[in-house]
Amino acid sequence: MPISFKSLSYIYSKGMPYEFRALDNIDLDIREGVITAIIGETGSGKSTLVEHLNALLIPSDGYLTVNEFNIVPSGKMPFLKLLRKDVGLVFQFSEYQLFEETVLKDVMFGPLNFGMNQEEALRRSVEALTLVGFPKEKFEASPLELSGGQKRRVAIAGIIACDPKIIVLDEPTAGLDPKGAKDMVSLFVQLNKKLNKTIIIVSHDNEMVYNYCDDTVLMSHGKLAYHGSTLDLFNDREKLEEFNLLEPDIVSFKNSLIEKGFRISAGARTIEMIAEEVGKQVKH
Amino acid sequence: MKNMVFGKYIPVDSFMHRLDPRAKLIGVFLLMIALFVPDNWWVFLGLGILIFIGLLMAKIGVKMVLQSFKPMIMMMIFLLVINVLSVRTGDPLFVIGSFTIYSDAVFNTLFVVVRLMLMICITTLLTATTKPLDLTLGIEWILKPLNRFHFPSHEIAMMVSIALRFIPTIIEETMRIMNAQKSRGVDFENGKIGEKIKAILSLIVPLFSVAFERAYELADAMEARAYVPGAPRTRYHILKFKMSDFIFGLVCLIALGLSIASRFYL
Repeated sequence: MPISFKSLSYIYSKGMPYEFRALDNIDLDIREGVITAIIGETGSGKSTLVEHLNALLIPSDGYLTVNEFNIVPSGKMPFLKLLRKDVGLVFQFSEYQLFEETVLKDVMFGPLNFGMNQEEALRRSVEALTLVGFPKEKFEASPLELSGGQKRRVAIAGIIACDPKIIVLDEPTAGLDPKGAKDMVSLFVQLNKKLNKTIIIVSHDNEMVYNYCDDTVLMSHGKLAYHGSTLDLFNDREKLEEFNLLEPDIVSFKNSLIEKGFRISAGARTIEMIAEEVGKQVKH
Repeated sequence: MKNMVFGKYIPVDSFMHRLDPRAKLIGVFLLMIALFVPDNWWVFLGLGILIFIGLLMAKIGVKMVLQSFKPMIMMMIFLLVINVLSVRTGDPLFVIGSFTIYSDAVFNTLFVVVRLMLMICITTLLTATTKPLDLTLGIEWILKPLNRFHFPSHEIAMMVSIALRFIPTIIEETMRIMNAQKSRGVDFENGKIGEKIKAILSLIVPLFSVAFERAYELADAMEARAYVPGAPRTRYHILKFKMSDFIFGLVCLIALGLSIASRFYL
């Protein structure tokens, strides 16, 4: 397993009167090459969990393994840069991390830090910007003058250009318009399918999770509540009730179609897939 | 930065937390004066016990307070060295080579160090048990008599409370931007001077842009609610002196009285 948490706990402000156990004894193996969603209520430990993946946070107890690297409490980490190159982390409101004079320079900042030479950094940055659909004529614009959505694209391109094996995104679609959010998600699917990246998305958007994420990790009060197939979780009414989750609209829609006598396969997860199956069963 | 203890509010419930911020401000002021008056160890012992009882009643943990001494250790060592080199009165204590260390040098330093430590305890006691906003309300109330002389006490209090309000926000932003840049391979701890400048730049530029954005948003929000500086306004939380506030103030006043009296009678 490339990513594996072993009885990991994390405590904020340890030893203070107001210490807080944000993660409690997490055992978790995340599969390689798939899209995994991390869901859960605000304050359930989602962000704390992903900040361990590139050692921004060090476990208070237990350990985790990412590819060949072991992250243990109070351990020395000579491999920090290698690890952070392998695991690209895009933060919530990533538009605030831009600082260079031009968009292109800002995207090249990461690759250069990770030791790529000027030419390779430039090539990868242009590739990444094209991939996220950033208009070419604005490559030389100041990143501080862009709109919010464009800034976020630049920030994500800045991570993609570093060529990480694992890309972690914390609420990447928050605050984007529906069209922008959809484009963003199809970009992640593309990164996963074409470039075989392992994608981890922290999200509140259960519809998006159901449509595109293979696996789901559900966090609740710092504990792991569920980890497994997304389809299994959201198609199981008992589980939804147990975890206090809303049934995605698409699942309700599919179920009412089945009640009306249509045969819909369990794997049909998007509106397009359902439409196709329904189309085959309707006589013109 | 997360380990910054000095001046931080500790959200627990205690007798000290429930005291009126104005009473605490005045009490702390009186105790500060009381610390500067005496030159007698017994008085320091008494004040120390009093402050220690206060810390226990605040339930903020003695370990916390000890941690806030850390930044002062260097200063104390510096003071000791200066004193040992410059003070030439009192009895010679011991001789190192051709250099004599006098008793006054050591005792003076000890006085200053004890005074400083007790002062840190008192200020920690104030800041750890009083929310920043309550603190500014208290300051505004104390400055109010100066309004007569056209002193803008409300504006000053507003400025202070906005500044205090934004410290945690800015720290949070700083942490987030640092984490984002670390994820892009920036190393804030090691590296050559050129790399370090670049690292700091990657933190400062976004931080400034965020700070300005926040400032504009706040100004708009205040304007949208028709904020006029100094306009008479009512408050949701009205500060009221309780019996416990008077008792606290009285204890501090007695401490000051006794410490002044010690100069004359001990």
